[in-house]
Amino acid sequence: MQPALEATNISRLYKSSGRGVKSASLTVAPGEVHGLMGPNGSGKSTLLRVLSTAIEPDSGELRICGADALVEKRKVRARMGLMVDRPTHYNDLTGWANAYFFARAYGVTEAKADGVLAELFDYFDLAEYRDDRVKTYSYGMSKKLALIEAMAHGPELLLLDEPSLGLDYTSQLAYQRKIRTLAAEGVAVIVASNQVDEVEALCDRVTFLHGGNIVAEGTPEALISTVQGVRRVAAILRNPVQYAPIEEVSGVQRVVPEGRDLVVHCDERPGMVADVVAGIVRSGGDIVTLSVERPNLEDVFVKLTGEALRRED
Amino acid sequence: MRINPPDAYWKKDVTLFFSKRIALIIKFIYPLALIVPVAASDIPPQYAAAVIGIVAIMAGTFGAGESLTIDLNDGILARVALTPLSPRRIVFEVLAVNAVLDFLQLLPALLIVYVLNPAPLAWVLAATFGVFMTLLAANSIGIFIANFTTSPADVLLYATAILFPLIYLSGFFRNQNPTGILATLRDFVPFAYMNDALKTVFGLTTGTAPFEVFLYPTIICAVLAGAVLLTAPRLLSIRP
Repeated sequence: MQPALEATNISRLYKSSGRGVKSASLTVAPGEVHGLMGPNGSGKSTLLRVLSTAIEPDSGELRICGADALVEKRKVRARMGLMVDRPTHYNDLTGWANAYFFARAYGVTEAKADGVLAELFDYFDLAEYRDDRVKTYSYGMSKKLALIEAMAHGPELLLLDEPSLGLDYTSQLAYQRKIRTLAAEGVAVIVASNQVDEVEALCDRVTFLHGGNIVAEGTPEALISTVQGVRRVAAILRNPVQYAPIEEVSGVQRVVPEGRDLVVHCDERPGMVADVVAGIVRSGGDIVTLSVERPNLEDVFVKLTGEALRRED
Repeated sequence: MRINPPDAYWKKDVTLFFSKRIALIIKFIYPLALIVPVAASDIPPQYAAAVIGIVAIMAGTFGAGESLTIDLNDGILARVALTPLSPRRIVFEVLAVNAVLDFLQLLPALLIVYVLNPAPLAWVLAATFGVFMTLLAANSIGIFIANFTTSPADVLLYATAILFPLIYLSGFFRNQNPTGILATLRDFVPFAYMNDALKTVFGLTTGTAPFEVFLYPTIICAVLAGAVLLTAPRLLSIRP
């Protein structure tokens, strides 16, 4: 079967910062949901920009739905649905007018546009607000409108950047259900997200980016299996602490700050959690909450790179 | 033909133009407020013509330049650029619709000028056409400027730098009877033809014939518009 997306040795470095993406290769099959994960500066956004044909790579090849995406850009764009991380709309137009404009720009006929959009507005619970100006929308409503704009023309490939960020729980479930339905119909989906739960639940395969390089790729199960035997102790502290003493606790593999949380990767052995707690207390940490979890994709990334996916920038 | 919801870029601009009532009223009142008192006064014809010319040039250049830079800042233009629409078609629509909307704003004031200063029909038509060509040229300059900045404030700066020499060459205030190289250069500035037509409407005699007001600005604006369309891929590209 012809891949929906085939990127080969894509490199694109920004002259000003030297950052970007280096020799990235990625293949996504029709019906596959593929996660892209990586912290800020990992090259994830640059890769997405190249894949969406927004910028050209310095080198490499990109084929989308069989077409050369670096040459036949407009043809490729017509078959692609795109949602950028920061929802952008014409704020003085209504939500419906925005969606209609994009649907028609993507080639949806006048006869079909009303029906397709009405269904999506209904699905994403925006029907009630369709005639309100977008400037009155909340961030979550704006995100849902961006999802509608990405999906209305029935794309063969969906590129979604942080799609669920800002969505309420019900909308997240609706969005995930929609993605699964579309994938079952053969739509390839690339989801750039650092929401570990979402990626684990939704994606068939995951690619990790770090420092502009692809550092791992595989199914979530296969990737997580590489950190079996590791316990994940996540603590929320009332105050920041020097965590070097915790690393000295026997059985602790690494200590990683994830935003405000402190995550300790340690061996599975009796008494391990108590030792970790004692270590945190010795460091002066005042524990607000503590949880012991199974390893997840975040832990895989930490094991591979020594860095957390989500940093407090 | 249905304008709203919009199914084309120009329809989106028209919808936005008419969507804000107070802004719309102001857009129509400000040319009247600037031009009508001048047209009704007994100031020298060349200066009355110059005021109308300046209003047209500023409205065209700042309107297109600022609205484009605002859209660039919002990221919406980059998003639209990732649709299958041709960048040149988008920029053509931006240029055409902005020039027409600017013209609509100036038209009531122009009609009052013609009522207060009756002139031969050929000159009335020539002046009206000259104003439209000026708006087209000014919008081309505004779009050109948006290629180099995403700051509306910079548009003011760059527009001033570009427009001052052109206004000088056109003979709005000084250089009214140029000779030599200045006269040759003036022939390439579309504003100059509008200025001559308006001067004639206000009662002065110039060396320009009505057909020249129709012919030369059309050629110059076609070249300007073509040049601006060539910049479309850059204008709609993602800026680092």
